[in-house]
Amino acid sequence: MTQAEIKLCSLLLQEHFGEIVEKIGVHLIRTGSQPLRVIAHDTGTSLDQVKKALCVLIQHNLVIYQVHKRGVVEYEAQCSRVLRMLRYPRYIYTAKTLYSDTGELIVEELLLNGKMTMSAVVKKVADRLTETMEDGKTMDYAEVSNTFMRLADTHFVQRCPWVPATENSDPGPLPPAPILVISEKDMYLVPKLSLIGKGKRRRSSDEDATGEPKAKRSKHSTDNKEPIPDDGIYWQANLDRFHQHFRDQAIVSAVANRMDQFTFQTQTSSEIVRTMLRMSEITTPSAAPFTQPLSSNEIFRSLPVGYNISKQVLDQYLTLLADDPLEFVGKSGDSGGGMYVINLHKALGSLATATLESVVQERFGSRCARIFRLVLQKKHLEQKQVEDFAMIPAKEAKDMLYKMLSGNFISLQEIPKTPDHAPSRTFYLYTVNILSAARMLLHRCYKSIANLIERRQFETKENKRLLEKSQRVEAIIASMQATGAEEAQLQEIEEMITAPERQQLETLKRNVNKLDASEIQVDETIFLLESYIESTMKRQ
Amino acid sequence: MADVKVKVQPPDADPVEIENRIIELCHQFPHGITDQVIQNEMPHIEAQQRAVAINRLLSMGQLDLLRSNTGLLYRIKDSQNAGPVSFFLSKMKGSDNQEKLVYQIIEDAGNKGIWSRDIRYKSNLPLTEINKILKNLESKKLIKAVKSVAASKKKVYMLYNLQPDRSVTGGAWYSDQDFESEFVEVLNQQCFKFLQTKAETARESKQNPMIQRNSSFASSHEVWKYICELGISKVELSMEDIETILNTLIYDGKVEMTIIAAKEGTVGSVDGHMKLYRAVNPIIPPTGLVRAPCGLCPVFDDCHEGGEISPSNCIYMTEWLEF
Repeated sequence: MTQAEIKLCSLLLQEHFGEIVEKIGVHLIRTGSQPLRVIAHDTGTSLDQVKKALCVLIQHNLVIYQVHKRGVVEYEAQCSRVLRMLRYPRYIYTAKTLYSDTGELIVEELLLNGKMTMSAVVKKVADRLTETMEDGKTMDYAEVSNTFMRLADTHFVQRCPWVPATENSDPGPLPPAPILVISEKDMYLVPKLSLIGKGKRRRSSDEDATGEPKAKRSKHSTDNKEPIPDDGIYWQANLDRFHQHFRDQAIVSAVANRMDQFTFQTQTSSEIVRTMLRMSEITTPSAAPFTQPLSSNEIFRSLPVGYNISKQVLDQYLTLLADDPLEFVGKSGDSGGGMYVINLHKALGSLATATLESVVQERFGSRCARIFRLVLQKKHLEQKQVEDFAMIPAKEAKDMLYKMLSGNFISLQEIPKTPDHAPSRTFYLYTVNILSAARMLLHRCYKSIANLIERRQFETKENKRLLEKSQRVEAIIASMQATGAEEAQLQEIEEMITAPERQQLETLKRNVNKLDASEIQVDETIFLLESYIESTMKRQ
Repeated sequence: MADVKVKVQPPDADPVEIENRIIELCHQFPHGITDQVIQNEMPHIEAQQRAVAINRLLSMGQLDLLRSNTGLLYRIKDSQNAGPVSFFLSKMKGSDNQEKLVYQIIEDAGNKGIWSRDIRYKSNLPLTEINKILKNLESKKLIKAVKSVAASKKKVYMLYNLQPDRSVTGGAWYSDQDFESEFVEVLNQQCFKFLQTKAETARESKQNPMIQRNSSFASSHEVWKYICELGISKVELSMEDIETILNTLIYDGKVEMTIIAAKEGTVGSVDGHMKLYRAVNPIIPPTGLVRAPCGLCPVFDDCHEGGEISPSNCIYMTEWLEF
């Protein structure tokens, strides 16, 4: 765990869960797996608080536990999982695009609560949706359950591992920590629940009050006194599936950018690739370098309704895709009208390379980008050859190469002519090592996000006084509205916030939004680089 | 009767005869003959006479002295090489052998030229002598000095009437040792524009995708013709030059290339294949990291909370937020 990662994790934990959890979490990330008492001793917090913090962390899948020999239970934090918290907005947005508001809220609830039972999720989501609907309409539980089942079918949510039911009646001494198991086929099995009911508003709609004070929350009556039918069956969001979806999205948009500029029916090539990826969603494991071969006939049948291109045209597009220098699609056989695969590893490599090139271009200029791409393609080049191929004057080329060298995008390979490695008698070749450059860039991304979060917190802290004032004013206005005050009084209160202060608030809101959006954008880069590194490491 | 010692003069003892015989032998063995061969042919000639004859032939420039791994070889100088030397000899009857040696070394270097230090190594003459000789030869207009484009201080010498090689002057992209970057830039943009318009017309034509893709390609020959017709270049450009320009476009990420097999007769094909070029778009938009100020920050490594440069007081961020 690099310093940058630890810093970022600490910021995220603090923002989402507070000081104590952050202290425990960071300590675990720094020191690896530790038993309970050691954690309490090293961090200087009371045992009780440590236990509570660990509960929170385990609930959110950020910490796992293991029983070691001699019955000691050790807790280990998962740094990569903590970093996923940055991506929560993206997951929720994806669910929204695929399954509309219902799906969005289900995924949001699951992410915010870590693990939940299905009935709890359905109830909560139905309540939330009902609030946003017009008066008189409510959200039916059945609809929410439907969406939930669809999410489970497409593997976006999965069951958490549980304690297996012990067969023997004699329990014996309880193990210090429960061993959780889950089998592959049970992971997406939705229990047969008959959830009947409708979502409830926070206030029952019989009362005739016009508005509702935000400060007061009326308790909604809980009529389900009966035990929850699926107690013990907990669900969590399946992050790998979301990652697979993002990866598919990236590949489809790359194909669209490259191929669809030249075809009259917009987006056809990318639609075909999207169809192929959709067909391989469930069949191909996420880490495979190639998808399963798909025959052209199958693809033709699976094209979305409304795409009426003839089989011949489809075949032409597939041939074009297979021949393209991008090499995302390959032809693996001729049966069934032609068998095609998508080369996932190559696609991820191209995307990571394009990311590197884009960073070099923005940071150093387009001539440097030319030299960078040149060395990428030719693998190893001497100084003189670089100048010749890139058609850049010698002095400038040298300067640019050294700049990139000190930025660690390019490295030198020495090939000595004599055993004594004398510099005048050695070849120095420039080369690009994509894996190490990707790692370097990834580290920079982590630090950048940490900087952005810090800046956002700083901006908020700077204007804390103003924010508190505006909140007080809002509370006063709301309470006065509830008790039926006049227009003039309301105006007077509103004017407590002067115009420049209002402007300041506006600027603050805009800045915070901008910083937030920028975090998400840098996270996209992180995703591409991490996928590439993971895919390369798996192949080695 | 006194004994008259008669020195039997062996036949063919006449020096000219010996030389002619040697020359004949050389013609018989164009790769060169060793001393041994001459001895076998004319066993009656003494070693001294042989040496004299050979030396005469060498100084007249009709024989070449070479060293092989078996010993010394004598080879007839063929008529082409004999030409300038005799011309040279006629010009400088009085010059010493050193100059001849230097001249020969320079001649051997062909049109790549040779550096003065290399002449010194090959001739084993001291530097002062070399410089004097070179100045002499230059004033007599037999050799000339050409500045090399690779190292601007280095001067290579070659025969006066030879054209310097491309590697020395740099070819079409260099004019007087200066790399013409604007010229290259202009050509770059023109080629790219040509390929772009070709791709656009292909896209507008709305035919089936195969034809569209194929018509969006342009062969290197087409581009070459277009650039020649455009007439922006004072220097005549060959197809290889255009291909180097198109390669720089590939390294810019704006153009992609494929090689197809073409029949020998088709226009623009080289060795049975043609290179086709096509303008393309980048596969991803500028990545997320560069949209944040940290991605482009020059002092990134110095930045940490609580220091002089920190996220809280970062001026780049302040500017960026005010956008």
